[in-house]
Amino acid sequence: MSTVWLPCGLYHQDYTKDQGWWQTSLIKGKMILLLAIIFIVFPLTLTGYWFGVANMVGYTALGALGVQVLIGYAGLITLGHAAFIAVGAYTSTLLILQFPWPQFFINGGIAYPISLIIAAIVAGLWSVLFGLPSAKVKGFYLILTTMAAQFITVDFLITQYVSQIGGRGQAFSVPPGTIKIGPWIIDSEVKTYLLVVVLLTLCVMMVANLLRSRVGRAWIAIRDNDIAAETLGINIVWYKLLNFFVAGFIAGLAGAFWVSNTAAISPEHFPWFWSLWLVGVILIGGVGSIHGVIFGSIFMVLVMELIQMGVIELSDIFPALMIKFLYIKESVFGLIICAFLIFQPRGLSYRWWQIKNYFNLWPFSY
Amino acid sequence: MELFLMSLINGIMVGGVYALVALGWVLIYKCSGVLNLAMGELTLIGAYVTLTFYQAGIPFVLSIICTLIIGIILGILVERIFLDKLIGEPILAVIMVTVGLSFFFKGLIEFVWGTNTRVYTPPIFPLEPITLGFIKISNVYLWSFILAILLFLIFAAFFKYSRWGLAMQATADDETAALSLGVSARFVYAAAWAIAFMSAGVGGALLGNINGINISVGYLGLLVLPAVVLGGLNSIPGAILGGITIGVLQNLSGAYLDRYFPGGVKEVFPFAFMAVFLLFKPYGFWGWERIERM
Repeated sequence: MSTVWLPCGLYHQDYTKDQGWWQTSLIKGKMILLLAIIFIVFPLTLTGYWFGVANMVGYTALGALGVQVLIGYAGLITLGHAAFIAVGAYTSTLLILQFPWPQFFINGGIAYPISLIIAAIVAGLWSVLFGLPSAKVKGFYLILTTMAAQFITVDFLITQYVSQIGGRGQAFSVPPGTIKIGPWIIDSEVKTYLLVVVLLTLCVMMVANLLRSRVGRAWIAIRDNDIAAETLGINIVWYKLLNFFVAGFIAGLAGAFWVSNTAAISPEHFPWFWSLWLVGVILIGGVGSIHGVIFGSIFMVLVMELIQMGVIELSDIFPALMIKFLYIKESVFGLIICAFLIFQPRGLSYRWWQIKNYFNLWPFSY
Repeated sequence: MELFLMSLINGIMVGGVYALVALGWVLIYKCSGVLNLAMGELTLIGAYVTLTFYQAGIPFVLSIICTLIIGIILGILVERIFLDKLIGEPILAVIMVTVGLSFFFKGLIEFVWGTNTRVYTPPIFPLEPITLGFIKISNVYLWSFILAILLFLIFAAFFKYSRWGLAMQATADDETAALSLGVSARFVYAAAWAIAFMSAGVGGALLGNINGINISVGYLGLLVLPAVVLGGLNSIPGAILGGITIGVLQNLSGAYLDRYFPGGVKEVFPFAFMAVFLLFKPYGFWGWERIERM
């Protein structure tokens, strides 16, 4: 399902071309246009509020991409992904705040990039730790161990112990100017937007490339039938743990980005709700599709913004609604997920695929 | 030693309530294969509905019966509207529908009843503890335990002796065979959800008596998940054993580990224990080991 159907008469003669990203010059043109819009047009034209929305979309998409790698491509259902995002965020913040960086590093602006990578690796390893039971259990039992990851990491370790480091109390705030990449200080919404877009593009490229390599094929084989995959000589445990590592790695990047977006983190930013939210995002976008991650994030963030706007409009008439916005948000999220699963189980990306193919094959759709 | 016995007995008492909620969970799983993550919210609904009836001046026992009736109605509605259409869908879809339901209910509960802690006024059970030798048990725990066990026995008898209970067991065992013998699978699923709502509701009402009701009672409802995993997903005796084990573990860790790891060790320990336990016994105590073939 993932590949696009080519127009009539176009076909490939070898596997390499079949797996190519940009198979026709039209697709290449469209992708370059998309990148140009994201990297040039949006930063120049958007205003403050929309940057906030775009950053939220990017952050959600980064988190959901990791969940997609786990659920969509290896069938390892996780309900504790926020824990790994939290690990990334806290690692990065602690490195920036506590590590005795040489002055040269701080001036050169490589402290934050280094912390970004270390955060990603630490989150990946933490994720592998909780992925270990996947060697023996699957299905619902595995879901429960990932839930355990959420409660142990966020509600216990981070809230009770990690937050005590440095004696700052519950919330860690990063002084302005410390988050610096090379010569650029990440201090405005445009810059965070560019940061998240670059991170997201890199991660999507990484995942897309992994998926068309040996590793990705092994994951998909495990997802479809793990016993068959084992008989084919795939080392299931190794590939499952690798999957957990990649998912945790992306989650760590997302967490480290979140620090630059909010300049302060506290355990309340990573509740269990957020883990479930990310799973909801990929369900709405479509399980087993990278498009789905992006569509799902855009859809969910926009819907929530719309509800918020609606509530603000209505709050003149019913002031009580404003206080209860959070509850309405939760309820609507629940209903949207149920509705999507019942009426649109293949997600938004399937619709997108249908539309694209309709135009690709038009007017001879047979 | 005294501390140990105290925590042990309190743990068993609370564990009885967990076992009741876990029973509802196992029932749904056994009959329809649905892994229900909305159990916490079901307990909350039970707690709040009972509270509302009780505040309206209805005696406690009668309000519990009213809760049971509302539980039946809600359970059937939920099954008909949401889960009926998902029979045979992949596991993730079904789980996420229950997650969606849990959000929906949680938002609804917060919207209707607010987030402040509410207590049963006047208190239903006398406040002074019962003394048995050197062990003190508070009345709430004791009565909750007795009530939980009583309901448990009623449900067990229902399964063993009534026609409907037998039909449910048959469906759980082999849906196709049950269908061919004239059992209505849709009826069985609806009944399973109704019973789950009922047991969660009573569990919630009892838990709400212990510390008052707020959103965190829903978290206590979530503790049934480690309980059912410990017992094995599809074992009714396992649900009792798991529930009591979780209750005991929680109280013992609160009593002994809190000194070394201050903070929420009591809430987290069951989950941590479960994660490690699964490494050694992947199907719980009495869960069916699934033999997979290609």
